[in-house]
Amino acid sequence: MSKIVTVVGVGALGSHFVQFLRSEDVAINVIDFDRVEQKNVQSQFHGKPNVGKLKVDSLKQSMQFLYGVRIKTVSNKLVGDNVDVLLQGDLIVDCLDNGASRKLVQDHVRAKGIPCLHGALAGDGSFGRVIWDESFVIDYESGPGAATCENGEFLPFIALTSAYLGIATQIFLAQGKKSSYSISPGGVIRI
Amino acid sequence: MDNVVQLIQENEARLNVTYGGQNGDLPDAVSIETTDGDIKTMATEAVAGGGIPGIPTDARADFGDFVVERYPPTEDRTHHLIQLRPKTEFGG
Repeated sequence: MSKIVTVVGVGALGSHFVQFLRSEDVAINVIDFDRVEQKNVQSQFHGKPNVGKLKVDSLKQSMQFLYGVRIKTVSNKLVGDNVDVLLQGDLIVDCLDNGASRKLVQDHVRAKGIPCLHGALAGDGSFGRVIWDESFVIDYESGPGAATCENGEFLPFIALTSAYLGIATQIFLAQGKKSSYSISPGGVIRI
Repeated sequence: MDNVVQLIQENEARLNVTYGGQNGDLPDAVSIETTDGDIKTMATEAVAGGGIPGIPTDARADFGDFVVERYPPTEDRTHHLIQLRPKTEFGG
């Protein structure tokens, strides 16, 4: 029976990462309450025709149309009351964009003993982390107006970091080994 | 690589710095007891003096908002690693 991979957040990192799951023998669940905005088209795996749609529906359509891969979607916002119901599976991949939601994920996976891989980016596109939960420290937002890495100029770096999420997932699914990475445009190191 | 690893003692760590999208190690190991503040001071001075291979010299380097993370040795990495890195608030 296929393992279940649940991806929380399908914006910049998450939308690209889900593509890399298409060659894995897994069932894919995605969770995101947000809708595709025009600006997202520059940096996320969401196309112009899907502007205004839920990101999970955009991704579901693209995965089915391009690759014939079906994914399960949830468009609820992750909150304390629903985390037990929504965050299930053999592997949770956190691609969220705020510390409070990441904390919900971290508390849940630690309480339930579910393997969890986190992806995170610096807002200026200079650094990315692909870290298993055992070593993951949440960086909370500096405040309003902080950089968001959404500009199209960061697309190659976003895709690179997403690819390392894919590599870490692939290694885990095949070998059960947890590999973490620090990524910058200047190079990648294993943590 | 192995030669570098062998020079790091049990109570020392490799200090890896990411700055301006570039990544490099301080040539010398640092004590694992070095405080976060001292790590930032060391990195500031090293980048200002061009002392980190791979990172261009920058006399105005500022690590005030950076994060110090400490990783114990693993099966694959036999020494402590201290990482000085930008905050990663975004993921989406």
